[in-house]
Amino acid sequence: MLAARTCRVVAAGAGASLATVLAVLTGLGPAAAAEDGHDDPLGYVVDLEALDDPAVVAEGRRLYQRGCVSCHGVDGVGAPAGPPLRDAGAASAHFQLTSGRMPATVPAGAQPQRKPPAYGAEEITALVAYVASLGDGPEIPRVHPDEADVAVGGELFRQVCAACHSATGAGGAQSYGRIAPTLMESTPVQVAEAMRIGPGQMPVFGPERFSDEEVDEIVRYVQFLQEVGDPGGFALGRIGPIPEGFVAIVIGLGATLLAAFWVGKRREQSHDVEEGSA
Amino acid sequence: MNTDGGRPSAPSGHRGTPLTRRTVRWLDRRVGAAGMARKALEKVFPDHWSFLIGEIALWSFVMLLLTGVYLTFFFEPSLEKVVYDGSYEGLRGLEITRAYDSALDISFEVRSGLVMRQMHHWAALVFVASTSAHLCRVFFTGAFRRPRELNWIIGVTLMILAIVNGFTGYSLLDDQLSGTGLRIAYNIAISIPLVGTWIASLFFGGEFPGPDIITRLYVIHILLVPGVLLALIGLHMGLLVRQRHTQFSGPGRTEDNVVGERVWPTYLAKGLGMFFLTSAALAALGGLAQINPIWLYGPYEPADVSTASQPDWYMGWLDGALRIMPSWEFRAFGFEVPNPFLQAVLVPTITFLLLFLWPFLEARVTKDHAEHHLLDRPRDRPVRTALGVAALSFYTVLFFAGGSDVLAVTFGIPINVLFPAFQVLLVVLPAAAGYLAYRLCKELAQRDQPGGEHHAREVAPPAPDSGESHRREVAPDDTPERQPAAEAGGKPRR
Amino acid sequence: MSDGVGSEGQVHEGQQTSEKQASDDRSGDRPSRSWGERVVALAFTVAVLAGLALTVVYSVGGQAQLEGLFLAVALGGIGVGAVVWAQRFMPSEEVTEDRIELGSTDEEVKAFTQSFETGEESLERRSLLVKLGLGALGALGLAAVFPIRSLGPRPGRGLKDTGYAEGVRLVTVHGRPVRPDSLVPGTVLTVWPEGHEGDADSPTLLIRTGAGRLQLAQPTVDDIVAYSKLCTHTGCPVGLYQQQEQLLLCPCHQSTFDVLDGAQPIFGPAARPLPQLPIGVDDQGFFVALGEFPQPVGGGFWDRGR
Repeated sequence: MLAARTCRVVAAGAGASLATVLAVLTGLGPAAAAEDGHDDPLGYVVDLEALDDPAVVAEGRRLYQRGCVSCHGVDGVGAPAGPPLRDAGAASAHFQLTSGRMPATVPAGAQPQRKPPAYGAEEITALVAYVASLGDGPEIPRVHPDEADVAVGGELFRQVCAACHSATGAGGAQSYGRIAPTLMESTPVQVAEAMRIGPGQMPVFGPERFSDEEVDEIVRYVQFLQEVGDPGGFALGRIGPIPEGFVAIVIGLGATLLAAFWVGKRREQSHDVEEGSA
Repeated sequence: MNTDGGRPSAPSGHRGTPLTRRTVRWLDRRVGAAGMARKALEKVFPDHWSFLIGEIALWSFVMLLLTGVYLTFFFEPSLEKVVYDGSYEGLRGLEITRAYDSALDISFEVRSGLVMRQMHHWAALVFVASTSAHLCRVFFTGAFRRPRELNWIIGVTLMILAIVNGFTGYSLLDDQLSGTGLRIAYNIAISIPLVGTWIASLFFGGEFPGPDIITRLYVIHILLVPGVLLALIGLHMGLLVRQRHTQFSGPGRTEDNVVGERVWPTYLAKGLGMFFLTSAALAALGGLAQINPIWLYGPYEPADVSTASQPDWYMGWLDGALRIMPSWEFRAFGFEVPNPFLQAVLVPTITFLLLFLWPFLEARVTKDHAEHHLLDRPRDRPVRTALGVAALSFYTVLFFAGGSDVLAVTFGIPINVLFPAFQVLLVVLPAAAGYLAYRLCKELAQRDQPGGEHHAREVAPPAPDSGESHRREVAPDDTPERQPAAEAGGKPRR
Repeated sequence: MSDGVGSEGQVHEGQQTSEKQASDDRSGDRPSRSWGERVVALAFTVAVLAGLALTVVYSVGGQAQLEGLFLAVALGGIGVGAVVWAQRFMPSEEVTEDRIELGSTDEEVKAFTQSFETGEESLERRSLLVKLGLGALGALGLAAVFPIRSLGPRPGRGLKDTGYAEGVRLVTVHGRPVRPDSLVPGTVLTVWPEGHEGDADSPTLLIRTGAGRLQLAQPTVDDIVAYSKLCTHTGCPVGLYQQQEQLLLCPCHQSTFDVLDGAQPIFGPAARPLPQLPIGVDDQGFFVALGEFPQPVGGGFWDRGR
């Protein structure tokens, strides 16, 4: 259920274009992504209706006591090893849990990385409901990327997101070992949440900064970056000229040097030479 | 042909002769070059695979010309704004410049435009790569020594021009990456003491981004620099033909002869083979490996920036220098010498000055002013080899420093650790690598002692002015042979 | 081969010798020869097919990967064929050719010098005319240099000025003015002087630091600071804001600036802090500049301090 964006099939139906044929043959080219009949393409994961249910909150509290309390303290007051969660809100809890960053496996202060979620959908629902009940934090944003203008989203993305996440969404380095993660695996809901809550080093982009429509546009563009194929062939990670230079030197120059080595090789016994030509 | 007056000596009844012979005869009656052409065909080129590295560069350049001409038919070097309405969904409806718009059209609308664009870019990267490899070959084998100092200077000039043209091409498309590169170039220009702001203003047509920069870069990229490159490559190869190629020492190979294959037909066929193989590699890269996906980078906006903003690889060492040099800035007489000047102006100036002067510096230090046609093996010149290896490792460290942010993500090492590490490596590695190379040369040379046939140079010292009159006699008639030999595909060294 | 060209061809380099072993025993090499022929034939055939495939790909609409692939195969086929052909069936004996003497003989040099001096003498007899002629050429050259000046304007105060002045509003790229309460802690916003939206020299970062009032050189509004977005190293936009650590990082060369400490550089090649814009709030509650940046923005230049 969680692997919404990772389950892609390459469409290779009858009447497929040359591009698709090649994509099938070589595994590159525009991979026509098709959700496999999934009913959660935006990555909500949780049951949004159940978040106010006292029984679910109670279940979340039980899970919290077991898995979170050592770092975040009783009732989310915070502890030396983790920040307080009183006003973290549903959005923050949802972002951290669905992206697998929480529960963290790195020491306090280090940057938690995306990994497969440790909890199932119902447990996440319960935990999100519990954290939301602690205080006054942002809700899980509702996203509607299907209605958004992708090109406008791209413009906004390049204005505010590309500096850290790169124009291609591949992520990048920051100071003192921090990393702006790749957005290639982020679900639409996670992108919107990250903007609203500003997890980790990321700045906050609240409603006074970006309207819901603008968030949808950016979400749409991230979705687009994930789906859009690479018409030029192997994308080399979409991280710019460094891998390109590597390929040019190792493969380009390497192959031509091998060719030179072969062409320049002297055949010691060249008896094949036809007499007539000499 | 038949209407031609003809010479009395012309064989009659040439109606039945093969087409080639008739063509040759027709041409010769007008140009009179059969003798020279024959000599060109019979020219001897020493064969060693490393002599073909220059050919890779030459053929990459040919591919650059071919693909580049195609691209000029579609590219519009203009900063005029248009609304993008092409087939790439991610940008549709945005206001972009004609330059960026036409580059997108080449990528998405023009049939086989993308593959041409990508081949062009890959060819540029391989062109500079093979030029550098060729330069290393010439350096480490001492092929720059008398009488080839001029050709060395031309070669270094070619390399600089190749880098310059690569950068102008990268900067033409007005995407986010090219604009960022231009902004850095602008700031490097204004960092030059006294004249920097003038240079920048004249070149950009005003303050950055400047209204004229793309048009000017375009003229430079497609006309000026390629023209000079073409002329210098011709000169480079003309000199090569005139001076004959160097050769490694071996049985029967001396300072006074050239041992190898004739141009016609074997060498020519191999050279053509190299062209096709080189261009095949570039075509494969152009079709299969995506390069510079400008549609992902977006149009240039001066306030926007993307992480992992890098130049193409051949500028990487300069970018690395800009990164890891300490934050020094000087003030002299109340004026400022900004930090980029040291790294981005002085470093390349010193680099290329040293390269230009190297043959003369070496000759002065070794007091060896004699003609050399036999190549050194790197081990026979441990000091030169060690210095070369040290210099190479210096620039390699700078090169990797230029990718520090990408390395930081890839290997999980903080930039703040990488920078000091590179600063230390920049000093330590050249010294260590140079010393190691020196020891290795000594070791290898010692191991070779008993065999010793490569010491032919020492056994038969060159005697440039020892009055060998048997060759002097034919010298005057030799002069016209240069041209046709070059035309007949004389061995290109670059 | 030496007698293959017409009668006009004269052999100047008579000392050519062929020292390679004669290749007259063809009889024993039949298998190898036919192998080579087959390879060449195969390579050329593959090239023919790839070339034809290329035309097909193009005419049905084109596809970059297939185009590159077929082009590579076509070119590579010809290349392989040519090389195998050359290596197997073309004369490959080693030929020795004498090097020519590059320098001219003393007599030639003397003859040249003589010719040159004869001409030179005739010029020297009209030395005034020669001098005048050279002067004319020099003046022409000088005059030809001046049009370079047309390429661009004099670099005046442009590098030192931005669109800011006292009372100029700070607006977003779309021209919307900004109120302090629209900046939540931990956010960052790029603004321009009103009327100069998108200008290359004046993007400015507005950051609410959430750190209480700051003691900085220029006036701030609450805990909100305004710094030039252009790196003082090479002018790249310093777009990476790490809100927890209050750092600004330049993606081009990794200069890092401390937001709470007047954007002093704490790492990387930049030597100077980002210029801080003095800001206030106008009577309608929008951000305004209280003046120009105290220092020129972006990378350094010769007379920056003047």
